[in-house]
Amino acid sequence: MGVIGKRVAYYPGCSLEGAARAYDVSTRIVARELGLELDYLEDYNCCGAMESKNVTFMGTMLLNARNMSLARKQGHDVIVAPCNGCSFSLQRAEYFLETDKSVFERVNALLREGGVDPLDKIPHTYHILEWFYHEAGPQKVKEKTKRPLRGLKVANYYGCLYTRPHFYARTYAHAGGQDEDARPRKRDTADDDEHPYYMNALLEAAGATSVNFEPMHTQCCGGPHSLSDEMVSEKFVMMILQTAKRNGADIIATECPLCHASLEMYRHRLMMKGVPDVDVPAAYFTQLLGLAFGYSANDVKLKDNLSDPLPVLKRLGLA
Amino acid sequence: MAIHERSLVEPERILRKERLVIDGIDVSGDWNLIILPRVINDYDLDFAKEIVNSPDGKTINQCYQCSYCTASCPVHNYWDERYNPRHFIHLARLGLIDELQKRADVMWRCVSCHKCTHRCPKGVLVEEVLKVILRTMAKRGLIEEYPSKKFDKFFTEQVLEYGRIEDGELLFGWIEKQGYKVVKDPILRKPIPFIGETPEWLKQLTMKPIKSMNIGFLILNAKHMLFHPRTKNWNKFKHVLRKVMEEEGALAH
Ligand code: SF4
Ligand code: SF4
Repeated sequence: MGVIGKRVAYYPGCSLEGAARAYDVSTRIVARELGLELDYLEDYNCCGAMESKNVTFMGTMLLNARNMSLARKQGHDVIVAPCNGCSFSLQRAEYFLETDKSVFERVNALLREGGVDPLDKIPHTYHILEWFYHEAGPQKVKEKTKRPLRGLKVANYYGCLYTRPHFYARTYAHAGGQDEDARPRKRDTADDDEHPYYMNALLEAAGATSVNFEPMHTQCCGGPHSLSDEMVSEKFVMMILQTAKRNGADIIATECPLCHASLEMYRHRLMMKGVPDVDVPAAYFTQLLGLAFGYSANDVKLKDNLSDPLPVLKRLGLA
Repeated sequence: MAIHERSLVEPERILRKERLVIDGIDVSGDWNLIILPRVINDYDLDFAKEIVNSPDGKTINQCYQCSYCTASCPVHNYWDERYNPRHFIHLARLGLIDELQKRADVMWRCVSCHKCTHRCPKGVLVEEVLKVILRTMAKRGLIEEYPSKKFDKFFTEQVLEYGRIEDGELLFGWIEKQGYKVVKDPILRKPIPFIGETPEWLKQLTMKPIKSMNIGFLILNAKHMLFHPRTKNWNKFKHVLRKVMEEEGALAH
């Protein structure tokens, strides 16, 4: 344990400073409780998410390289992002900058032109869940838990990009590929690629029970198409929610603001249509940990969740 | 080319006779299905070359058509069987542009879940390659504007302008693009969420924080909607970003 570093650059991403502020607030609470330090990345820009990469390749490299450069300026080798989209984008840029020399050189030249320090070194990006698991771990969570989440049945929803694709997330050592340098290496701290369990472990340490949620724990929620392709997104979310409900979950724990928003939005729409078994509410895993650490529902901003998990938590005496 | 793809055989070229008699011998049942030959000679070999030459598309030639990508794909499995990443790669490498065009209505449906890329045993960056195929088709005017592209561009323009994304503007801006009448305030020209002609679900969802008296949340988001969060020192960088994107033709189509 302890290979990532206790003090890291924190890239919250646009979402966490607006509609998903509950995730930001609760993340800071959990980090503080676990004795970890988040150094806010000053003046960052959007990572381009899953959208900009479809329009421009070099543009997204630049967007992410600028953030990396800011992290280097603040003296960091490690960036931590709480959003699947953000950590994906940064890791994707990391992959291309490392494996494609021409991309690296071009990016550095363009950074200089844009008035940003070029990259002397490429910082690594981790998802915040991985960081919590490795720098604190279930043991520490157990120690800090004052109000165990006893009786709470959780469906742990990881979404797509937390462990995928292994090229960027480095969750799986792969032998294929023609280019030796471009072959992915597994990171020591990485979660299991097809059966992630870090969130299960942390929430179970806090007293919750995980329900069986395979294979929907890594099924797509519609992601970048949640606004532009409503039919597909609606179907995907329906499958996720129904699986959770039918496996007995009280609540879905999320670790990405986009997945969370997509689940909540389509949950409401599905309920309006009268689709059965879709009424499981969603909460960020950090909110649940915050509750377990003795914080109030107000502290972790449970009211912000449009799917309203309060009644369920109240019924179990957890909020 | 030996056609080994069932879907490359158009229905018009399959002839099936109820009864077939050749030289007085009834051969129905064995020989009554005839597929007319198809000659394809308009391969566009430059198409694959263009893909290979882009940094995110260069793994396309590693594909050995095992179809693990397709087997993993949720769009293929849960939405439309015609969405078939392996097949798109095959067609793109052959340069069968008209066959790709026939599938244009589903090709944009990829939700970028990266199951394909993750599982490909040959190290093809499948999702990236598929997007490069789409991008190349768009560049050549072979595919019409599709919904996700409209959204991608809309999103990217916001990033370019402010350096940051704001959920409210993204949501209501997109709703407006869908043809809803969004009401805006007269001074800053920003959308007002609670009135106007927006979808019912959105109205109900925006009412939730009001009903629960979630004042902090409302103030924060109202502030962001009125004064879009910006990245400081953005202008010089924005200029470079715009230049790069123009070079790639990203904003043109
Ligand atoms: S999984 Fe990889 S090698 Fe197999 S068909 Fe798909 S892209 Fe080709
Ligand atoms: S990234 Fe796209 S093509 Fe690949 S599995 Fe997901 S939806 Fe299918």
